[in-house]
Parts: sequence; C-alpha cells; structure tokens
Amino acid sequence: MIMDDVAGAASESRPRRTPGPLRLGGREFPPERALVMAIVNRTPDSFYRPGATWDEDVALERVHAIVAEGADLLDIGGVPAKPGPEVTVAEEIRRIVPFVERVRAAYPDLVISVDTWRHEPARAACEAGADLLNDTWSAWDPKVADVAAEFGAGLVCSHVGVALPRTRPHRAAFADVAADALDRVLLLAGRALAAGVEADRIVIDPAHDFGKNTWHSLEVTRRLEDLTATGWPVLMSASRKDFVGETLGVGVDDRLAGTLAVTAVGAWLGARMFRAHDVRQTRQALDMVASIKGDRPPARLTRGLA
Amino acid sequence: MIIRAALCPSPPLLASGVTGLADVLPELREACEAAVGWLLAAAPDEVTVIGPAAATATWPPDSVPDLSMHAPALNRARPTPAAALPPPSPLPLSLAIGAQLLDAAGYSGPRVLQSVAESASPDACLDLGRDLAADAPLTALLVMGDGSARRSAAAPGYLDERAEPFDTVVEQALRDGDLPALAALDPDLARDLLAAGRPAWQALAGALSPGARPRTRILYSDAPFGVTYLVATLDPAS
Repeated sequence: MIMDDVAGAASESRPRRTPGPLRLGGREFPPERALVMAIVNRTPDSFYRPGATWDEDVALERVHAIVAEGADLLDIGGVPAKPGPEVTVAEEIRRIVPFVERVRAAYPDLVISVDTWRHEPARAACEAGADLLNDTWSAWDPKVADVAAEFGAGLVCSHVGVALPRTRPHRAAFADVAADALDRVLLLAGRALAAGVEADRIVIDPAHDFGKNTWHSLEVTRRLEDLTATGWPVLMSASRKDFVGETLGVGVDDRLAGTLAVTAVGAWLGARMFRAHDVRQTRQALDMVASIKGDRPPARLTRGLA
Repeated sequence: MIIRAALCPSPPLLASGVTGLADVLPELREACEAAVGWLLAAAPDEVTVIGPAAATATWPPDSVPDLSMHAPALNRARPTPAAALPPPSPLPLSLAIGAQLLDAAGYSGPRVLQSVAESASPDACLDLGRDLAADAPLTALLVMGDGSARRSAAAPGYLDERAEPFDTVVEQALRDGDLPALAALDPDLARDLLAAGRPAWQALAGALSPGARPRTRILYSDAPFGVTYLVATLDPAS
C-alpha cells in the first residue's frame, strides 16, 4: 500500500482535462472563479491557533463568520497533519461527522469538504453530506476514491512523495519535484476516473510542505503552471505553512503576508481553489488578482473617470 | 433646422461597465436617458451629436463607441479583425458617450458625429453651429459638454474659487434660454477652469436661431466628484 507498483504505475494513464466548470455538491464553478476553501479544524492541536474551533458551538460560529467573509467551501478536518497523539478512525468520525451534519443542516447548499486520508471517516462524512474529499496524503488509502465515486463526491488528488500520513519530511529528495508532483496527481486523477469519480469533480494539489522541504514547496509554486496547464482544477494549500515561515523567517502568527503572496502567484498561474485560514484577506487577494487578469469587474471605479 | 436640443455631460463613468460592478451616479444616467428620450420623441430626421475634442472634425456615423482608452480591460474580449487594416481611430470621449446614449435609447436612424476643437474661438464655435443647422433636415442636437472640473479640493483639477460662479452663469443661461450668455463665455477662463463644455455650448448657441429664446428644463445639476454635470433640454419652438 505504501509504495505503488512502479511498473504498474508506469503503464497507467496520466489524463488531461478540457478546462471547464468544477462541480461540487449541487454547485458549478466556472474556471475564472477562484474559490476560497475555508479551514475549520475539529482538532485540539492543529499548528495554527490550536483548538480554536475544538468546541463544536464555537466551530459553528466560525462557519457563520467565514461564510459571511466569502468562503466558497469549507474544509473540515479532524486529524492534524503533523505527528502527535493517535486519532483513531472512531475518534476522527466522532470529531467531524456530527459537525458536518450540523453545518449541512444550517447551510443546505454550502459546499463541504472533509480533510481525511482514511476511507471510513470519508464514508461517514459523505453520508452526513460532505461534497468533496480532501485526500491530503496522496491516496495512502485507495478506498477513499471508491467512496468519492460511490457518493458522487469530489476528490482532491495530492502529491506527497514518499512520506506517510502524519509524518514530517526527513531529508526529502526529488530529482525534479515539480515533475514528480505532476506525475503523481495525474496518476491519481486517472485512478479516480477509473474508480468512477466524475471528471468535473476532481481537483489536483501539489500539497505544499507535505513530504517536501521549503525548496521543494517554492519550486512547485514557481512551476505551478505545469499543473494548471493540465486542465485539472488546482488546489493551493499553503496557508501559514512552514515553507512560508521558513522563507520569511517568521512564526506562524506572522505568515499572512507571505501566504497572500503565494495566493496571488498561484491565482495568477491559474490555480482555482485556495485553502485558507484567513478568509476575508484571501478573498480580497483573489478578487484583486481576478481584476488584474480581467476575470472580475472591479467593485466601484470613479478615479479619473468623473 | 434644429427642432430640439439636449445637453449632457460626458464623463467616462457614464459608459456601461466603466465603473465596475457598482452603478455610479444612476441619477445622472437616468437624467441623460430622459433628455435623450425627449430628444428622440420629436422623431427627428437625424441626430447630430456635437462634443469637444482635440480638433474640429466630422466622424464616420457608424463609429463604434470605444472606451478602451479609459478602460482597456473592457475591450479585450473583442475579436481582432482578420484584415490587416489599421483600426479606425476611436471616437473622442464626448462623442463616444453621446453615441452610447443614442445606442442605449435604441436610436438607429441617421446620425452626424461632429467634434469641435477645445481651442476653437467663440466665433468659430458659433459658425460651426450655424453651419450644422443650415445644412440639416429636421435635426435633434445632442450637445455633450461638462462644466468645471475644479469645483472642490477633491476635484480632478483641485478647487478654483472662480469655478462655481462660472458654472452658475452657464446654468442660469440654460435656465433662461439665454443663448447670448453662452456665446459670451470666456474661452480662457473656461480653459483655466477645465470646463470642457464651452465650445459645444457655443456651437449650440450658434445652431439655434439668432434671437431665439428656447424653453428649457434642467434635469440634473451637480458636481458630485468636483466636476459639474449639467443635463438640460432646450425646445426652440416656443
């Protein structure tokens, strides 16, 4: 399960996609609309503001706030990416599923993503109304794709390299990290299609920091067009991550400017979904880039026009 | 013969899409639409649009209003003509706004697009107006002209204390149908005050019969961004 059969993988297809709308739940998003995926951690120990939304009522308040700030979808997670105390399948389900049900009841049309790498929580989340499975650990459990197919949900196909779930990269090395990421996410997109996931519900993600050092994350950012050129919608998940902190030499509380710079570059290079802690600021950065690109009319102009 | 005349300003923000998602000054746009609607209600044989520009010229009547000089993003989607012909020079702003107002009103009849040089002397403007009226069948005249752009400290040209009295003279002349008062406007003062409408107003004075005292209505008079906008109708038949 850990390492793919290399010969088998080599013979699998790396499908491209005709650029077009992304469908999530009952919603359809055109290519020129960059989406904000707002993070809601159902954990006591995530790296940024640990435990901020551990209480379920507080978490729901957070959902109300970020929807008002312009979130297009939520990403609800019950297990931190970093190593730490074990979170069993049962515990992960307990953390996320009742909350997905509450959000779904409060927002019948809001797109809900669940950040999980195991098929049991994925299945329970889909039963509770999740629309997208953010499989951050690069199909460590191939049955997650089967769950997405079974429920008509979307799937994020990500790149990790050789790291296992909830591990830190140790002397990570790639001959060409951008090429490796491209190959892996396309391979997984092909497998998702084969499993029955609908093509217009598949997203690809180079997964900054996952199995990568900061040089690697900078490289996949610089070469993001290799991914966007495939036609698959690209998710950028960079918010306040260590590669931003290391690049700028700042702690987790001081990474917003760096995050927004990554966001702007990603949007310029064609990424379509941005996983974010800072929803309002991310929405503003994306709107600004969209207006520079000509994809969004500016809000209200009178300067020099009177 | 000029059967009706209307006066509108020509800021870029009147053009569709230029202000982005927000509808800026809808009341000004509505006043312009009302003035143009009134103009067309007389069923003229043709409409002459006259507005200030760098030079006095008659423009092709089928010229497409193009605001890309002011908002380059708006026209990017437009397909490039396959022919290697150079693009026609875009209409001056004042005529582009006037043409858009006619288009928005659904007017598809004959139109004359006439610019008048910003530097034209009052006499030259009066002569141009007389010539336009003399040649014409039953013509409606759409006069594009803005008041001073120096009405406040936030105005494009900053505050000039002379601006308000100047604009008041113009507005009063329009209220009274006082064409000689328009003809007498000082071009140097108008230039100092960034009052772009001066040559067009004087052409209007020339286009209507000498001694006429048209019945007028002011539909809008304000300077919300420090630029004076006047919308008026003039009925010379009375």
